[in-house]
Amino acid sequence: MSTAILEKFRFNLPRGLARRVLPGFLTLIAMVMILLICGAMQPRIWSQNGLTLIMSPIVALAIASMAQMVMMSIGDIDLGIGFFVGMITTIVATLLRETPILGVLALAGSVLAYALLGALVQLRSVPSLIATLGASFVWLGMGLFVLPVPGGSAPDWLFAYAFWQPPLSIPAPLVTMVVATALTWFVTRRTALGVRFRSLGSNPVALMRSGGSLVVTRMLAYGTVGLLGVLAGITLTAEIGGGDVNAVPGYTLTTVAAVILGGGMFTGGRAVAWGTLAGAVTLGLLTVLLTLLSLSSNLQPAVQGFIVIGVLAGRLVVERMTR
Amino acid sequence: MIKLGNHAIPPWTWSFLSAVIVLVLTYMVSGRGGMQTITLAFTVAPYLVLVGLGQMLVMSAGPGNIDVSVAKVFSLGGLVAIAVGDVTGSWVLGLGAAVGAGLAMASISIIAILYVRIPPIVATLATSLIASAISLTLAKGFQGSADPLLKGFLSWAPFGIPAFAIVVLIFTILVSMTLKWTTWGSQMLAFGQARRAAEYAGVSAKKTMVIVYLTCGVLAALAGALRASFSAPNVELGNDYLLDSIAVVVIGGTLMTGGRAVPAGVWGGALFFILLDGLLNLIGWSFAGQNVLKGFLVLAVLFLAGGAPILRRRVPSSVTDAANGEENAEPEIKTLT
Repeated sequence: MSTAILEKFRFNLPRGLARRVLPGFLTLIAMVMILLICGAMQPRIWSQNGLTLIMSPIVALAIASMAQMVMMSIGDIDLGIGFFVGMITTIVATLLRETPILGVLALAGSVLAYALLGALVQLRSVPSLIATLGASFVWLGMGLFVLPVPGGSAPDWLFAYAFWQPPLSIPAPLVTMVVATALTWFVTRRTALGVRFRSLGSNPVALMRSGGSLVVTRMLAYGTVGLLGVLAGITLTAEIGGGDVNAVPGYTLTTVAAVILGGGMFTGGRAVAWGTLAGAVTLGLLTVLLTLLSLSSNLQPAVQGFIVIGVLAGRLVVERMTR
Repeated sequence: MIKLGNHAIPPWTWSFLSAVIVLVLTYMVSGRGGMQTITLAFTVAPYLVLVGLGQMLVMSAGPGNIDVSVAKVFSLGGLVAIAVGDVTGSWVLGLGAAVGAGLAMASISIIAILYVRIPPIVATLATSLIASAISLTLAKGFQGSADPLLKGFLSWAPFGIPAFAIVVLIFTILVSMTLKWTTWGSQMLAFGQARRAAEYAGVSAKKTMVIVYLTCGVLAALAGALRASFSAPNVELGNDYLLDSIAVVVIGGTLMTGGRAVPAGVWGGALFFILLDGLLNLIGWSFAGQNVLKGFLVLAVLFLAGGAPILRRRVPSSVTDAANGEENAEPEIKTLT
């Protein structure tokens, strides 16, 4: 991952680069520090099994953060991603296991629903915040329809993935996260589609003048968010072994924090896939660290809150110094 | 482009219209009219209205301003009020403690926003994490119950109209008048419409932001304290109030981009949501079905009431309209390098 960031340093224009990459880089440093502290306290995490164990709960969060990152790169915010990922786990744990064709159709329908939501946002000039909020009620309800109580079981191939041990003692969750991030990075930063996403966020008038359609671009972006949400749901099902619509309502806000930690902006136009990965892993590792510190689980949220404020304050100081 | 709700029709019309439609449907389904449904709605709505008014003020202070900590502050307010009220034996002190807790939590948010320059959504998220940690610690082995006097007042409804609803209604009118007729109100709305222009005109950004966020925190904690006195304190008491407060404010006609606050619309939106819950319970829909319908209704209201120039930064509305026109003509253009 660090090599990719170094590559970005080498090939991109220097102007504006620092502003885009620095926040994610600082988060990366924070992430490495947390990992080192965890390792110092519990040396057994330095093994394939140990790393797999602490990283597997973070995979779904990382991919959901990618979804949020795409959403924020077009200047929108998704407040329904938590329940969406939850709904996907219920579909995967029931429909996809019992009747794969119906399951795939349901997943494709979910992606399509997201694209239609994008059309609503664009055509009726509805704020994305409230449209995705409304949609989150729908996801919650649908998930409860499919699976009123947590249950079901992941398909066999997903169980096979959960127990997969890649060669060279690389932890499997790391492979999944890096592949998902690389794909997102490629689409948002190396394709014409990604350019359109980002220009929709930073300067919609320019996008329009250059012949792009605002509606089609927004629908495609929302479709991408839906697709990444589906992927997050599938990996989460592998992690928890079943379906539960209420598994991760906290993702909605945690993913926003991950994107901000990674250097994303609310105003759109900035796609920071690798930074977002660093942000998501940092937030995920915090939970591990707090558990290792055997802190009362009641106090964990407060420490997380203070650390998010602390990291962002540190970033402000560093940004002031480098200016 | 249909220009609904711009000038001729007040922006809160749609929320009240939806509420009335749901009320009529409720009467049709239950087969009898009467005050009972209305009394019940007006008993539950004021809590949501209080939270919504705070959220409305925050949202009106410009794009990006939102308080996502209201749910946890609401729960915290309830727990603190009951705990302090139980120990001191005075419900006034309990409410005062809740107000203090709300102020403290909102201070964390506003310090993070103004001095650490964290975007409001992340700052208030951090605050909500802190508030939930305090609530969880407080709730461990929690005992205590609300003062019977306060509880009695909250459920007191002479002539079928809850007295507490009247109090909140008067408060709403006060907020409305503050926004319309005081210098601070105009300054706040001007700040929400064009931050830089307002600052050049001498509006203090710091003062405006501090007042709206502190008010929002206090109202959320106070509403939580009263709600906990009405039923029972609980860590998860406020959970529904985050999404509901945002939805209610926007359905009520307040602009998410700031600059237009519609206090009356908060009432319309709150009544709509609460009557809708009642109607769906009456029909016997499951919790799942209720959520799906609630979601689709929010989206439908957005579809009908949308079209206002919302969240389109740096794009004048005429350009957006032109953009939509061009898209309708040529929806298939895909080339862009």
